Amino acid sequence: MKKIIRPICTLLFGVAVILFFGLAYPHHLHYQEQFQLFLFDSAYVWEMVKLPGGTADLLGRFCTQFFLFAWVGAIIIGLLLSAMQLLTARLAKWGWFYGLSFVPSFLLWLFLLDENALLGGVWAVVLTLLASWGFDRLTDGWTRRILLVAAVPILYWMVGPVCVLFFLLQVLHHKRSAWSYGVFLLLIAMPVISSCFLPVPASSLWTGIHYHRYPTVFPALLWAATLSVFVLTLIVRAFYHQRSKKFNGQCSTVNEKNGQCPKMRVNESRDEVVQSMPSNSILGEANGQWSMFNGQWSTLSVFVVVAVIMGWVVWKNSNFKAEKVMQYDFMARHQQWNRIIDTVNAEKPNNPIGVTVQNLALAMHGLLPDHLFEYNQNGISGLFPKVERDATSPLPTAEVFYQLGMINVAQRSVFEAQEAILDFQKSARCYKRLAQTNLINGDYEVARKYLMALQKTLFYSDWANETLPLLGDEEAIAKHPEYGRLRQMAYQEDFYFSDHTTSQMLQSLFLSNTDNNLAYEYLLAYCLLTGDRENYYYFTSIQR
Amino acid sequence: MKKPLYILLTLLLFTACTTETVKDAKQEKLLPRIYPDYLGVTIPVNIAPLCFSMADEGVLLIDAVITDSHGHSMHSQGEESVDFDLDDWHALLGQNRGDSLSVTVSAKYDDGWHTYRSFSIYVSTDSIDYGICYRLIEPGYEVWSKMGIYERDLSSFDERPLIENTQFEGCVNCHSFNRGKTTDMSLHIRGSHGATLLRHNNGPFTAYNTKTDQTLGLCVYPYWHPSGRYIAYSTNTTNQLFHSADRNRIEVFDDASDIQVYDVEKNELLLSPLLKQDSVYETYPVFSADGRSLYFCAARALPEGSHQLDSIRYNLCRIDFDPETGNYGDRIDTIVNAEALHKSVSFPRPSYDGSFLCYTLSDYGQFSIWHHEADLYLLDLSTGQSLPMDEANSKDTDSFHNWSTNSRWLVLSSRRDDGLFTRPYFCHIDAKGKVSKPFMLPQRNPRRFYRERFLSFNVPDFVTVPTRFNSHQATRLINSNSRTPFGVRTSP
Repeated sequence: MKKIIRPICTLLFGVAVILFFGLAYPHHLHYQEQFQLFLFDSAYVWEMVKLPGGTADLLGRFCTQFFLFAWVGAIIIGLLLSAMQLLTARLAKWGWFYGLSFVPSFLLWLFLLDENALLGGVWAVVLTLLASWGFDRLTDGWTRRILLVAAVPILYWMVGPVCVLFFLLQVLHHKRSAWSYGVFLLLIAMPVISSCFLPVPASSLWTGIHYHRYPTVFPALLWAATLSVFVLTLIVRAFYHQRSKKFNGQCSTVNEKNGQCPKMRVNESRDEVVQSMPSNSILGEANGQWSMFNGQWSTLSVFVVVAVIMGWVVWKNSNFKAEKVMQYDFMARHQQWNRIIDTVNAEKPNNPIGVTVQNLALAMHGLLPDHLFEYNQNGISGLFPKVERDATSPLPTAEVFYQLGMINVAQRSVFEAQEAILDFQKSARCYKRLAQTNLINGDYEVARKYLMALQKTLFYSDWANETLPLLGDEEAIAKHPEYGRLRQMAYQEDFYFSDHTTSQMLQSLFLSNTDNNLAYEYLLAYCLLTGDRENYYYFTSIQR
Repeated sequence: MKKPLYILLTLLLFTACTTETVKDAKQEKLLPRIYPDYLGVTIPVNIAPLCFSMADEGVLLIDAVITDSHGHSMHSQGEESVDFDLDDWHALLGQNRGDSLSVTVSAKYDDGWHTYRSFSIYVSTDSIDYGICYRLIEPGYEVWSKMGIYERDLSSFDERPLIENTQFEGCVNCHSFNRGKTTDMSLHIRGSHGATLLRHNNGPFTAYNTKTDQTLGLCVYPYWHPSGRYIAYSTNTTNQLFHSADRNRIEVFDDASDIQVYDVEKNELLLSPLLKQDSVYETYPVFSADGRSLYFCAARALPEGSHQLDSIRYNLCRIDFDPETGNYGDRIDTIVNAEALHKSVSFPRPSYDGSFLCYTLSDYGQFSIWHHEADLYLLDLSTGQSLPMDEANSKDTDSFHNWSTNSRWLVLSSRRDDGLFTRPYFCHIDAKGKVSKPFMLPQRNPRRFYRERFLSFNVPDFVTVPTRFNSHQATRLINSNSRTPFGVRTSP
């Protein structure tokens, strides 16, 4: 039964992770994907692997590109967290406490609730555990010791400072000696030496460079997950060590009485022994079977307790408000206007990005002025939120600018959003939009640069290949349903703008081309929200 | 089992090492269209190999043979670009100093080989400095991402970072050296750890707070006095506005600006009422070659609240400067009256031999980097005559520039490649002011390199030797937040 219960527990955990990220948190995955540009390019790979933690970062970014499809992303996370649990489970004979081997995975799950937590951090822990597993298969001796010395710097370079777990586990599993202290010194030396020649803050060499998008944030949950592997293993081993001592003591007593104490068979694992260790087991076969049955239920009970408590913690710490905002951004990005209307009809958005996207969808359907006040509004900021200096909020606003035909404004907003990505990554979403705005503006060589970079991606290369022939082909662009329309809708007269979108900007856009219905809708909405009746009547009369 | 593997490996190695013979080539009457355009350029004897590709991308192989008048030759062939051996290249250039090389390019297409008309590359007798230093930054608006100050060895392809903003929170700009001497160096840091790092006479760096209560703000746009004792700065209240439909995207303009000179030895800013007039925007100060004049750009200030940016036009002006006392002259001369031509001067740079002054001329304003119409002009300081540098200029932006220490080479920033990303070009200017066609900073595979680099080369300046710069020490200094304040002295 034990052989079934444990895989079932792991399976249940994996499925729960997949369902959570697939159903409850999909837009967090989309959010992650849009802030990176994974290129199949040696220079790009080198930029990552030349830094400590680079291999884990590379694997993390490789997997993150699949987050474009949330279910694929959810499966990847499910597999990684399950692998983490299985690798943790093999570190000790957990007995009834098998459920505790899920704790590090739950902590990583908690870590991943943060939209700025990077998957490279998860890969770093998993790779460390894999390395530890590999080393445990080597027999003790000089070969192993020498390999250990070689492995520490290599592993540090591959996964970053979480490789300290590798050292701790090796010390735990094998005899401590002067050699261990030498390896420890080597481990300490790695960040110290690296800080002398790497262009990164020295502190990040101790806490991890690419575990979190914010360079100044200490990824506490990732470290908690990492260290919990060691601490839990240590506790469980210490517990059973004590129990084993006590059990041996009881055995000697029983032996003296009736000689019925069960002996450990040659191939019987300590785990199986500890499962059947309760004192009742020594009283007879029936009691032994009951004890075995009781042990499995105890294992299951501990798992359920851990799963319920940790699951509750995960759920309580999930940011579903942010998920909703990300959903609106996602729908705007993919121009899912009908879905946006359905969503706002089901639950009216009460966040600035939601209102912006709602108004854009209404305008795309020609419903904005007539139905403006049926929905939540937050003044003209609901039409054009101020472009902030961050990576997130300018993107939905840029979508509004782009659809209106304010191409230069859209270009600036997208460019600034990309520049604001805190770990200096680029964004496939932004590259695509910058290629489009440059194409519409006739800056074909700049558009070509972006498109040729996108050709090196997995999921944007087809689009880039389709778009490249358009460059310089004025006739094809004019006929293109999106670019042709936006060229016609663009400003004819130049003026200066700063951070605020004004009524004059919309008027100029509309008067440049009175067929620009979206500009018309926004202009009327602007008048309604500012109480500008005079202009409202003026522009409605023009359109008639 | 192993034998076939060895044969396969040998074949692969053999294939990798062989070059295809150019045969049955169709002889073209046209010159080849290569990228970068190196046709007829003049180069210094110590420049890195001018590797190039065919401009079109349908080519299967490109082959180039370089010959000289002494019977020497060099050959390279590649799929994407030709890549000349570094040592052979330098040997060939050394043998042809003051002479020309003939380059014959063949390209293989689907229909076979085509051999184009040979073109020349002129090897100047004037060598170029060890390298250039520049900032690499995305050509953006207000927010910055990764950036840094880098140094490139001009005789090879080696580039190394001096400092990158991955080491601290902020941005780096306005690196400046005294006539290529890296022992005198200035560097600005902007952001929460803002400072100006200064090194004089190869001493240690000191972090300064350049803002004083008697000046507009932080010191910007540094230029060293030839003696190394002074640095001319402007101080600017800068703003940005964005174009809705113009080809130029951004306007960077000053609401106010003044000029001041910093005495490095006395730690004093030397102010003059003539150079801090409210009714005038003064910016881009530079010392003359003899250090006895200060050239700068000056424009009539706009009325408060006005955004008639296209009416701001800067003239090139000059004021006397006494290096012994640090005193300014009592009058300002207009050297180039650009306003009268409805143009505007920016980035004046006198040659170090005192013969010329190169400046950028655009339609208006002072931030010509973002002006597609910007072109370079050369002012002959002996005659006062200004002429456009037609050989060096392009249809697109040609703006920031600096002289080599022998005053024979100019590094210029140009957006001619794609209209957005600034690349460094070099042109030769002889003693009579004759300007040669510029060549792009060489790269081993230039098309791939420039296509994949989404960064502009900003403020290129020559350095005579590799810069001694410990970025970790500098970072500690930046993060320490300990700043030495600038003192102030007002001249009568």
